[in-house]
Amino acid sequence: MAELLDRFAPLMGQRDALFGDGGANPFQVKMDQVLSQTEAMIGNRRTILVGTNNYLGLTFAPEALQAAHDALDACGTGTTGSRVANGTYSGHADLEKTLATFFGKEHAMVFSTGFLANLGILSTLMGPEDFILMDADCHASIYDGVRGSSAQIIRFKHNDAADLDKRLARLADKPGNKLIVIEGIYSMLGDKAQLADIVAVKKKHANTYLLSDEAHSLGVLGRYGRGLPEEVGCEDDVDFIVGTFSKSVGTVGGFCVSNHPQFDTLRLVCRAYVFTASLPPSVVASAIANLKAVQKGGALRARLMRNAKHLHTGLSALGLKIASDVSPVVAVVAPDVQTAVTFWRGLIEAGVYVNLALPPATPFGYSLLRASLCAAHTEEQLEEVIAIFAKVASDIGLITPAKTKRTAVG
Amino acid sequence: MTTIGTEPSAQTVAALVEILGPFNKTGAELKPGTRFTEDLNFDSLVVMEFVAVVEDTFDISVPLNILPDVATIRDLAAAVDEIVAESKS
Repeated sequence: MAELLDRFAPLMGQRDALFGDGGANPFQVKMDQVLSQTEAMIGNRRTILVGTNNYLGLTFAPEALQAAHDALDACGTGTTGSRVANGTYSGHADLEKTLATFFGKEHAMVFSTGFLANLGILSTLMGPEDFILMDADCHASIYDGVRGSSAQIIRFKHNDAADLDKRLARLADKPGNKLIVIEGIYSMLGDKAQLADIVAVKKKHANTYLLSDEAHSLGVLGRYGRGLPEEVGCEDDVDFIVGTFSKSVGTVGGFCVSNHPQFDTLRLVCRAYVFTASLPPSVVASAIANLKAVQKGGALRARLMRNAKHLHTGLSALGLKIASDVSPVVAVVAPDVQTAVTFWRGLIEAGVYVNLALPPATPFGYSLLRASLCAAHTEEQLEEVIAIFAKVASDIGLITPAKTKRTAVG
Repeated sequence: MTTIGTEPSAQTVAALVEILGPFNKTGAELKPGTRFTEDLNFDSLVVMEFVAVVEDTFDISVPLNILPDVATIRDLAAAVDEIVAESKS
């Protein structure tokens, strides 16, 4: 008789092979004291955080803190109920109104996390006669969401509009609706969707809708922070936008906005909305306050992009391979899993936190040191991060020491 | 997708065996009854890569929904036959 979780034995074996020696382990990183948006004490070490997805640094925005405190005192620590039972407070309705206004859409629906928003929307939108065509590099929450759908699920090659077109053409004589699912910025490598091309393909085919997950592009792209559709100028062509408050909005929660006239039907049939407790009032209040800050955040976006360019340029100049063009996600590609682990350990022990991202969670089987920038990073912090990358990369023989003698960049 | 379990065409099986070559890390014999998980040690990532090659080879889309029912080369070949037939109808 097999033990309960024996089927995961190969994975656990890999984990033990990589981390069983008792050295620093990404599964055990603990922020013992949060010092600011960009620094924390991990154990006894002051650590620069370059892997938090806190793109605009709004986690300590004074307006959001005050709004959260006020809501906490007025409404308590939690709603103890679902949105369709006792869990809709005036704050939840205000947040949905704020979101609809922010995006210029008719409808907005708030979920308890971004993951739940994808689960709920993707498992519900399309029916048994329908088709979902998803980008192969989509996030796990999208894979899990479509798995709950009764539609046929088809993957198209990452960011390949011609491949999408071909697959839609094969379905031309099928009467069902088609839903294309993409992300504005793909989380692991930080590359953007080829949105204009994908919209052009969408328009060629009948009964075809487009959903974009703007988790990593909300607040980051577009003059007013509305993400890739705003930047590209095709907001009317994106039928559903899903997103999260857990990155640039600096709190937690998920949402979907749309102009579809039947949108409110989803409030009755989306199980991830109906059967889970709603967000606590303090979270709702901080999301409302920070959405306003996101909209007015042109200066923060400019700082974020300047910081992204600074880190991208600095790490490239060391001779490290970066997976994509300048983006708030700077993913350094390590030659193999073991090197990535050694590299990550060197960084954390020197006081730099980035995400260690390994296959199968990464495209192309990449082993990544994934950094994400924050508008609140200072030039000094980034110079220190680059210097530590240089030292660690040189220590482990990934770059030649000569290349570490670099001049200032940025 | 109801024909998994029916006997696929020999050509489809042969084509799958050929493109499986580079994916065969265990050295298992590639025959209709060879199982992807147990005999070839395919994990979810390898399955996705392999399905992409199958799609390119046959110029079809393989819905992810059918994958839980595909255990062997025979199962996959039967599914491919059906998708190809459907696309020509």
